[in-house]
Amino acid sequence: MNDLDQLKQLLFGAEKQTLDQISDRVERREVRTADVAEVLSEAIDRSYREDSELVESLTQPVGECLQRAFRDDPETYGDALYPVMGPAIRKSIMHALRNFSQQINEAVEHSVSPQGLKWRWQASRAGIPFGEYVLQKTMRYRVEQAYLISRENGLLVGHVHHEASKIKDSDAVSAMFTAIQDFVKESFSPDRTGRLESADMGDFTLWAVHGPHALLVCVIRGVPPKSLRADLSAVLERIHFRYGEAIRQYKGDTATVPEVEVELERCLRFEAREESKKSGGAVPIWMVVLLLLLLAAAAFFGYRSWAYSQQLAKFDDALRAAPGIHVTAVERDGPDITVRGLRDPLAASIDDVAASLDIPMARVSADMQPFQSLQPEIIAARAAELFSKPDTVQLNVVETTLVVNGTAPSAWKDQLQAGFKTLAGVNALDLSGLTEEVIAEPMSVPMPDTRQLLLDRLTVLNQRRFFFDKGVQFVAGDEDALAQYVVQVRELQADAEKASFSVSVTLTGSTDGIGDTARNAVVAEQRAVAALERLAAAGVTARLSALPGGPTVTGDRREDFSRRFVQVDLELQELPATR
Amino acid sequence: MTRLTSKVCIVGDFAVGKTSVVERFVSNHFSGKYLSTVGVKIDTKEIEQAAAGVSHKLVIWDVAGSDSFGDREFAYLRGASGYIFVADGTRALTIGAVETIQSQIGEKFGAAPSVLLVNKRDLVAEWEVSDERFEALSASFNGAFKTSAKTGDDVEDAFARLAQLIVENELRGK
Repeated sequence: MNDLDQLKQLLFGAEKQTLDQISDRVERREVRTADVAEVLSEAIDRSYREDSELVESLTQPVGECLQRAFRDDPETYGDALYPVMGPAIRKSIMHALRNFSQQINEAVEHSVSPQGLKWRWQASRAGIPFGEYVLQKTMRYRVEQAYLISRENGLLVGHVHHEASKIKDSDAVSAMFTAIQDFVKESFSPDRTGRLESADMGDFTLWAVHGPHALLVCVIRGVPPKSLRADLSAVLERIHFRYGEAIRQYKGDTATVPEVEVELERCLRFEAREESKKSGGAVPIWMVVLLLLLLAAAAFFGYRSWAYSQQLAKFDDALRAAPGIHVTAVERDGPDITVRGLRDPLAASIDDVAASLDIPMARVSADMQPFQSLQPEIIAARAAELFSKPDTVQLNVVETTLVVNGTAPSAWKDQLQAGFKTLAGVNALDLSGLTEEVIAEPMSVPMPDTRQLLLDRLTVLNQRRFFFDKGVQFVAGDEDALAQYVVQVRELQADAEKASFSVSVTLTGSTDGIGDTARNAVVAEQRAVAALERLAAAGVTARLSALPGGPTVTGDRREDFSRRFVQVDLELQELPATR
Repeated sequence: MTRLTSKVCIVGDFAVGKTSVVERFVSNHFSGKYLSTVGVKIDTKEIEQAAAGVSHKLVIWDVAGSDSFGDREFAYLRGASGYIFVADGTRALTIGAVETIQSQIGEKFGAAPSVLLVNKRDLVAEWEVSDERFEALSASFNGAFKTSAKTGDDVEDAFARLAQLIVENELRGK
């Protein structure tokens, strides 16, 4: 050390030592590495937080690093990523499937295309859910089942399938496929290297992918693309990678191949069918026009049917509301109607009711049995007819009382009082509203006109009709009414005789238009004779009219109970003086 | 309970009753009608082996009858865990065929559990296998049974014995 160095040592000893240390750290690689390592994480952290340059700088080298690492050691990285990729792939597939299924459902559920209707019909015939059928039709293919089979012994290593697939004994299927495989190989491959790789069975295709130790057999619905075989091979390779040795030594203990089904499930993929250009989704215009025409026709006929139904309902209501008509059934045969029930001869005719509602009479036929109605309106009408009610009188029936209002001759009043009890359903007579007609008589005529009185009584009894059911069978009640009537006639005849008058009784029968005209005339006459016999039995002399069968009925040939009667005509005649 | 599936092959001469024995074991049914098996017929049956704690499914390969096997038949036997040899007690010659097949299998695939069924024991009047011969055969196999597919005698026992042997063999392998 010379003087200068000594001087430097004295003046800058401490600083020189520091400089040497710094120089040493800069020059020595391992020291520099240790220094950088010490601050590296902190430096990266600060740089990342301050700006994005670090990310940009690292993107490319890190990417290249990963690429090289995966290329050099794919199995290690594959295994490392497997737990992440499996669920991610399944989730992605399920998401895609759900969207796809939803699209199909929306497209088909709301479709009125012939194809949609046809599928719906075919699905119902096949007895499978519509959605499942659409899925089958809209898929180009779907792997329904996958069997992993030991090549050594044909035992089933693993099996997965879609939920909807029908599964038989998978162990037997596996063994049988192996047997067939062996049979084909021994029979058709001279060098025994041939392999059964596919088989077609109706809607299904069987694909076999061969590995060193295992056979992957997939049952595929539809027509799979060739690319599927590569996918299946990849699955089988992966299975061999994970379970190759276990499968080689497989003796039927499934515990030696844990979770092999997870790998097999990768086979269960499917793809949507491509829409053909022809179908295009559009409905042909002629079909639209035809559909519209059919709809219009259906609407027209539907409206007509509905309107007619409404009309018939009103008809039904009107019949049920009509006094003296009791409907038991209204039968429809297309547009024709048959009304069955009971009808009082004094009630409105069925035809009149139909006509009031504009229902064609030709459409209506009636099968009504006659009866005597006790409805107030009908009793009042019967009283009016029986007692030849003057126009100045109103008759009403309240409960069982015949209420009379208006003005009437006293003879009519007397007649009514004498005979009202013959009315069925009437027990009392209320004459409080009746005013007797006062006929101003000249004082010079003190005695009442006997002839007029007799005429008044005769008027009440004249032209009385008694109704028949069929043949000479009286309607219920009319035979009794005739008996009572006969008493009144006999009394009238007796009173008339006292005043030198006679009352002649003439009977005329009548029928409706059903049946032969000649036969009807005979029946009408028989009715007149039947009444004649009853009059004779009560001591009343009567005679048949010149035309006892009544007027010949022509034209209307329908059943009409109101025309099945015998009419009694009375005539007052003065007896010739005998002295 | 451990689940185990094993391939079992049933072999023997023509018309010794192999298919009938399998049908009796699997379905407990017997048909007197003879239908020759073509190729191979597969059946399965699951049996509980409580002592070993194993639920054991036997996949039974009923191989078409033959007095000596060719390549095709041997292909069916590959990987079998056990064998059931069937001979006809009313035809002593069929025992010779069984011995031949047993020898061929041993050479090709090595030793495996096996039992011998001398079938048709219900046909007593026509029985041709002496007791001495039967005892000697028992030693050659892992067990021998005089069975009748028609009555079901000893069929179940024979299969149970083979299943037991297979499980023991598997446990030894582990």
